[in-house]
Amino acid sequence: MTRRVSDIWCVFQIHLERVRAEAGPFILAALVFPAAMYLFATAVGSEASAGVDDTERRLRFLAGSIVFSLSLTAISWLGYLLLENRFTGRLRLFATLPLAASSYAFGILLFGLAQAALGTSSLLLVSRFFGVRTALTLPAAFLLVVLIVLMMLCGCGIALVIASHARSFSEGSLLTDALGAGFVLVAPIYYAPESLPRALQYLSRLLPTTYAARAVQATLTGRHDVTDDLLVLAFMALVTLTVGFRSMRWRED
Amino acid sequence: MIVPADPLLAVDSPAVTRRSVVRGYEVAVSARRLVKRYKDGTEANRGINIDLRRGEVIAILGPNGAGKTTFLRQVTTELRPSSGRITVFGVDTVRDPERARQMMGIAPQEAGLFESLRVRDHLELFARLKGLSRRAAAAAAAKTMEDLDLVADANRRVRTLSAGQRRRILLGLALVGHPPLLVLDEPTTGLDPAARRAMWNILRRAVGNGASVILSTHYMEEAERLSDRIGIISTGRLIAFGTLAELTACLDCRYRLTFHDSSDPSADLCVERYATFGELQAEIARRRLSEYSIAGATLEDVYLELVGERFPDEAAQGERR
Repeated sequence: MTRRVSDIWCVFQIHLERVRAEAGPFILAALVFPAAMYLFATAVGSEASAGVDDTERRLRFLAGSIVFSLSLTAISWLGYLLLENRFTGRLRLFATLPLAASSYAFGILLFGLAQAALGTSSLLLVSRFFGVRTALTLPAAFLLVVLIVLMMLCGCGIALVIASHARSFSEGSLLTDALGAGFVLVAPIYYAPESLPRALQYLSRLLPTTYAARAVQATLTGRHDVTDDLLVLAFMALVTLTVGFRSMRWRED
Repeated sequence: MIVPADPLLAVDSPAVTRRSVVRGYEVAVSARRLVKRYKDGTEANRGINIDLRRGEVIAILGPNGAGKTTFLRQVTTELRPSSGRITVFGVDTVRDPERARQMMGIAPQEAGLFESLRVRDHLELFARLKGLSRRAAAAAAAKTMEDLDLVADANRRVRTLSAGQRRRILLGLALVGHPPLLVLDEPTTGLDPAARRAMWNILRRAVGNGASVILSTHYMEEAERLSDRIGIISTGRLIAFGTLAELTACLDCRYRLTFHDSSDPSADLCVERYATFGELQAEIARRRLSEYSIAGATLEDVYLELVGERFPDEAAQGERR
């Protein structure tokens, strides 16, 4: 067990070193896009939804931007890392060590969680400058952390599947980018669910981002009634991670 | 045809392999009837039997696509054999790959390093992934950097290093922690001659410290100078295996005559091979050669006779000339 934890920590450190050296693009990915999306949604939303409580609308957009950031980090960024490791031969360095494949995946996930924590904290801080006032209580903050972990687990599972099955780096990279952003745009995150076309409403029910956004918005307003969304996310995380780990093989047949 | 030498090592008794000892030799790697068949029906390895003794160096030669890397990847547990068995110090690589990998230091042919990691970080973190404690990993990394002449570059990031230095780090990742078995897939490909020789010295030191080595190479000289025994793989089969002396002794033509054909001054040097020295002398007399060179059979001659083509690095040099 101690060995497993040490392995996960080493894989995490290897990837963390990279962030230290290339901090700019990482911050850009985790913060700037979602923050810009928040500003865009606020600008467009204030015209489209006149009469709706401004605080509620801003909190929804902030929740959307947090989920956007998580989706980008989990699917696009982790997917990119996994693909890069696989197609540049770095994965072979790990695969030829006495290291379990799951330790490698959890090390990458831990790295993603660190990024997610950084991105979410930054967005919460930046949102204060835009006049967004959250009512985050201590229990709600704990729930927010659980939500972040579950959303990251879902995204990591999806990234693992893509990175294991992609036939080329570009194919995998396109898929992770499309899903990372697509899961946010298709889900009712920046707008009310009823404003979506019926087909997309059904589709959005299958996406983790839908439940994550709703639950994150609730925790930001200090509510704790997110059990249903947590359970759905936990189930999705279990499914995606199981499929992800099964897709990932150290040894080829 | 030259057949696998050393009948002592052809013993294939489960009782014997369980003890990892074959007639007094402790066996580091034992491969038995190893077959790798891909889904499309291609057979990359066809019944390979090989033993690597403890403290021995084996070089695997063969043309591109012959199955060298496939064989090594099965040893390193990256590739599951279709049939057959491989043990590393008695551990079955299919049943217990993680334990088998604990005894190996592996330098894959096409592995990438982490560009933004420092040399020291690479060695320390990978030593820890091999199971060393933090303190032991730091000490092992320092020793490996010393061995590889990388101390001055310890704090440099990989992206700033030359190809030769990167190769040394890859070898360092295999060496760190002193694993008893080193599996090296073309460890010196792309290096200049000086760097290649430096790499040979590093490997010799590792062997001096008790490591067993199995490596694939495209360089004849490397195989001749580094290895105790040489295996030649062609179209998935181990077509020859033995010491250099054993391999050359099995050749039909053991003498080589090199000369300029006076009837065609623009032609390249002619190389002809003869079974006996008498035949060679007779040919010199018949051609009335005044300038020529005579040499005993080399590994290249063995390779040419068995594989029937020029060796890749020689061919490349020929093209450059």
